[in-house]
Amino acid sequence: MPAGIASASLYLERFSDLLDRTAGEPSWLRQRRERAMERFLSMGVPTARNEEYKYTDLSALAGGERLLGLQQPGLAAIPPAYVGDDAKAVWFGEGLAVAGFAQAGVRVMSLREALLAEPSLLEEHLGTIAVPDQHALCALNTAFFPEAAVVMVEPGTLAKEPVHLMFGDGMGGRHPRVLIVAGRSSSVRIVETYSGAGSFWRNAVTEIRATANARVEHCRAQFESTNAYHTGVLQGLQDRDSYIGSFSFSFGAKVARNDIGTRLDGTGCECSLDGLYAVRDSQHVDHHTAIDHAAAHCNSHQLYKGVLDGNTRGVFNGKIFVRRDAQKTDAVQSNKNLLLSDKAEVNTKPQLEIDANDVRCTHGATIGQLDATAAFYLRSRGISAADARNMLTYAFAADALDRVRVKPVRHHFKSLLLARFAREDG
Amino acid sequence: MLQIRNLRVSVDGQKILRGVNLDIQPGSLHAIMGPNGSGKSTLASILAGRDGYEIEAGSITYHGQDLLEMDPEIRAREGIFLAFQYPVEVPGVTTMYFMREALNAVRKHRGKEELSAGDFLRLARQKIKPLGMEAGMLKRAVNEGFSGGEKKRSEIFQMSMLEPTLGILDETDSGLDIDALQVVADGVNALRSPDRAFVVITHYQRLLNHIVPDYVHVLGDGRIVRSGDKTLALELERRGYSWIVPASGQAAAAGA
Repeated sequence: MPAGIASASLYLERFSDLLDRTAGEPSWLRQRRERAMERFLSMGVPTARNEEYKYTDLSALAGGERLLGLQQPGLAAIPPAYVGDDAKAVWFGEGLAVAGFAQAGVRVMSLREALLAEPSLLEEHLGTIAVPDQHALCALNTAFFPEAAVVMVEPGTLAKEPVHLMFGDGMGGRHPRVLIVAGRSSSVRIVETYSGAGSFWRNAVTEIRATANARVEHCRAQFESTNAYHTGVLQGLQDRDSYIGSFSFSFGAKVARNDIGTRLDGTGCECSLDGLYAVRDSQHVDHHTAIDHAAAHCNSHQLYKGVLDGNTRGVFNGKIFVRRDAQKTDAVQSNKNLLLSDKAEVNTKPQLEIDANDVRCTHGATIGQLDATAAFYLRSRGISAADARNMLTYAFAADALDRVRVKPVRHHFKSLLLARFAREDG
Repeated sequence: MLQIRNLRVSVDGQKILRGVNLDIQPGSLHAIMGPNGSGKSTLASILAGRDGYEIEAGSITYHGQDLLEMDPEIRAREGIFLAFQYPVEVPGVTTMYFMREALNAVRKHRGKEELSAGDFLRLARQKIKPLGMEAGMLKRAVNEGFSGGEKKRSEIFQMSMLEPTLGILDETDSGLDIDALQVVADGVNALRSPDRAFVVITHYQRLLNHIVPDYVHVLGDGRIVRSGDKTLALELERRGYSWIVPASGQAAAAGA
């Protein structure tokens, strides 16, 4: 449904301001922004009438006035830089600040820097991996992102230290944008964290290009205020023999919607799209994944786990496309949910479209409660009911958390998870 | 130490225990035998505090306290340990972590200092060795992928770590080969002491060659229909249960 008149005129006004502010941008980028703006205006903010948003109605974000009413991310403290002393933390303000980043073979640049240093790489990738044509929110980000974090990994570089991109405290604005290009046979780990207090809407887009034999391990953690709306797109494009690992840790926000996908475009590719969502009270969290098997001999794995308490709702929709030429595809998808309350609800759906005939695709989904027998077993050894519950909750999530490749991040997630569902009352 | 008086229990409206009386003194070892469905495991579960049973009448007093009012974890901290007939697999929780949490909860309750990680590991390694298990088992998830024998040995390991006052073994011998049975029996015998009592529930007399009971009770149709010393177990082995427990319907009038 197209954007309404009030919001359309508001968006246009803002877009016109943006074009003034970014007058120095190359024409290809302005064209991409203009086209994205058009696409957004014709599609509008998705509502529940759109099948892809059946359970996640974003119409609250549609009205122009409401949009203006939503503030920028507030001024709460940034979570401590827990990625570890070795990690290179990069903060993104409105104008993008790079905090002491130096790692051989890895460059983290602002949009302006990247346009100067790598104009052709940028033109090739920025806005071509996450394509805005069919995705209103991606279009909106593409039209409006004021800045971008551009991570370039030189061919052959094996980056030892993870790169930490922090978006908190008004950083990165309402439409954070990240582009990661991993050169041939390079390897890099990247952690993006999104935080902020108050009520706001953040609409982030990350694009990842893994060129031949490259390896990108990406982790996206969102712990925004429970008054915030978070919409995020992560899209990968993979050349032959490359690997993209994505981990989505969705912990905060009133409503969070993540669209995560990758296209396996050359033979011998592999991807893991994993995640853990842990919500309580009346939070809503939605993951839509899409893996596009476009070439033969590629493997994809997905493990998404959810822990839901209170009145929450979780949504998982996992699409797997296997194109005609993608023979010998091996795709595994699993979504498992633990409900800690009778009022929590989950909608989970695999969606497989298979056009090749020699493939293996498996999927499974479970929705369950804590195992009362196991809880009794733990209690019969002297462990309190509350501790037994915590242990089992953590145990449920543990195999998903094991897929977070940066150890301090994994430990941080674990402690957040345990603190979130701890109950002293037993 | 423990007094069970006229305990009547039902599950989903079906009467399982129909008036059990039992007194257990410190230092004693009681074997409870009986045919399938006689209520042996129900009795064990009730002692440990499992949900899902309706106590229709009777009482259980443990060290002068009303046991039935205690939560399972309090019973454990007060010294009751149940070795499960079917130990539960807990994926994602290592035995090491689980046992340390349990031991420290128990120690805290008993007014002892919590054990440091190093002291705990030393103790665990020392306790696990005689059970013929590798210390590597501590790093595995609780009972996950364990063989039947490993699970039972793990129960004995846990018991030796927590040093209960009253150890209850629910068919710990079932399905064990003779070597594993010996290991389990040695583990139990090593724990026997004048202030510690055991209730050993078993279907087979064989275990009682290795763990010698002071008393043998026969549970039939929800009641203790006969009590004796270890010779009673031998007699049961020879003659079966039918001479004291009717095949169906009512319990034998002859109680002990």
